[in-house]
Amino acid sequence: MTRFTWASLFAVPVLAASSSAIAADYLTVAQAQHILVPQADAFAAFPVTLSPAQLTQIRQISGVPQRTAQPRVWRATSGGRLAGWVIVDEVIGKHEYITYATGISPDGHVLGVEILSYRESKGGQVRDVRWRSLFRGKTVRDKFKLNQDIPNISGATLSSRNITDGVKRLLAIHAVALAQVR
Amino acid sequence: MNIFHGRFGGNLFSGFLALGAVAAFPGAAHADENLFGYNTGAETLPKGSGEIYVFNTLRSDKGQGTYRALDTEIEGEYGVTDRITVSAAASFLTIKTNGLLIDGYLPAPIDKGPRFSGLEVKSKFNILSPALDDFGLAVITSAEWKRLDPHSGQLKTEYEGKVVIAAQKYFRQGQIVWVGNLGLKAGHETRAPIANLPAGFDWPTTPEMEIELSAGTGLSYRVAPGWFVGAETHYTSEYETEVGQERWSLFAGPTIHYGGEKFWATLTWFPQIKGGGERYPGQTDTGLHLIEKTKTEFRFKLGINF
Repeated sequence: MTRFTWASLFAVPVLAASSSAIAADYLTVAQAQHILVPQADAFAAFPVTLSPAQLTQIRQISGVPQRTAQPRVWRATSGGRLAGWVIVDEVIGKHEYITYATGISPDGHVLGVEILSYRESKGGQVRDVRWRSLFRGKTVRDKFKLNQDIPNISGATLSSRNITDGVKRLLAIHAVALAQVR
Repeated sequence: MNIFHGRFGGNLFSGFLALGAVAAFPGAAHADENLFGYNTGAETLPKGSGEIYVFNTLRSDKGQGTYRALDTEIEGEYGVTDRITVSAAASFLTIKTNGLLIDGYLPAPIDKGPRFSGLEVKSKFNILSPALDDFGLAVITSAEWKRLDPHSGQLKTEYEGKVVIAAQKYFRQGQIVWVGNLGLKAGHETRAPIANLPAGFDWPTTPEMEIELSAGTGLSYRVAPGWFVGAETHYTSEYETEVGQERWSLFAGPTIHYGGEKFWATLTWFPQIKGGGERYPGQTDTGLHLIEKTKTEFRFKLGINF
């Protein structure tokens, strides 16, 4: 084949990459914080460094690995008292990473899940408030089994599974590293 | 003359690529995963969604003379339910060969194409979902009619039926994807007579039956959002009415895949690693099957979802 043809062959994926690298950002971290813990009047970044033993515990509890030892955690307070936690995390979607935030009450219940960035054109139902509200009230003791207590989203099975597993993993982080903090 | 540029090749490739590029930009299309060139996963399209594929496979080099063939397949796929996908495809063959005649297989030099070469209908039934059930499994059945011999470019009529079992497994939340395929193909073919064959040249025109067994596997790793790099392999063994096992071959090579919001593309380099069965007189690469296969294949796939 000629040089011209080969150049064309490789040009399309490059063109595709440049054309489709458009992030769909729906919420900032600050916006998500206020939605997830609306009664809070302050959100302070809360540095957490998970030990190898804690990472192992999180994997055992959630069934999936925690990839970073330093999760992005904010402590939400109301009048100086702990009102909840907000953890911002990323999971693998079909092609791109999905950025989401989970609010967790001091006693370990999910307050809500917000999608900050979702870059796939199908499976946008993960942003549907009805789907996300199914997580509300769940604790680390719940199963989080896709299509049993959280419905699967057709066309975005991997995304919905990874978000479901991700929320349980964040509850495991809370149980292992945050539950005793006041 | 370079068939892939001078007369139609550049135009052909450029045309398909331009079609893909133009179609990729407007509208909201989703990229379904098709991470490999030769092996397929177990996922089906969601109900009500569709996809258009363009596959180009370049087969080249039989060890002597010149041999280049380009198979182009245009396929439309539709999700009937979340578990059943149906598709229809039209295929085209562009071929140039000279300097090599193989008794019974390559009867004459040829420089033709692209020519319409056949139609295929296919259905894929998803039994287990890799994301939902931890292990994916699908059954793919297809029926194909061909009017051209893909090896020689000569006229023939062939009817084929094929069944493939496709397995798929996600590792590390989808960062690593494994697929495995097992296939069985049966074909009935009748060659058209050719005038002015070389003296003593065999070109049977009585109907023949063929059965092909295939097995393949591939592993792909997500190296960056949207980008997968992997490797795959494919083994085939064909049995014919007259000769028993006619050929076997093992191809293996790297594959790169991009999947974005609008479309996906996959490029695979697939050299023949090992092969056997029938050989043509004077074949120097004795560890390969070069009568119906070539030393190297490249496959470029483009998929546009809607």
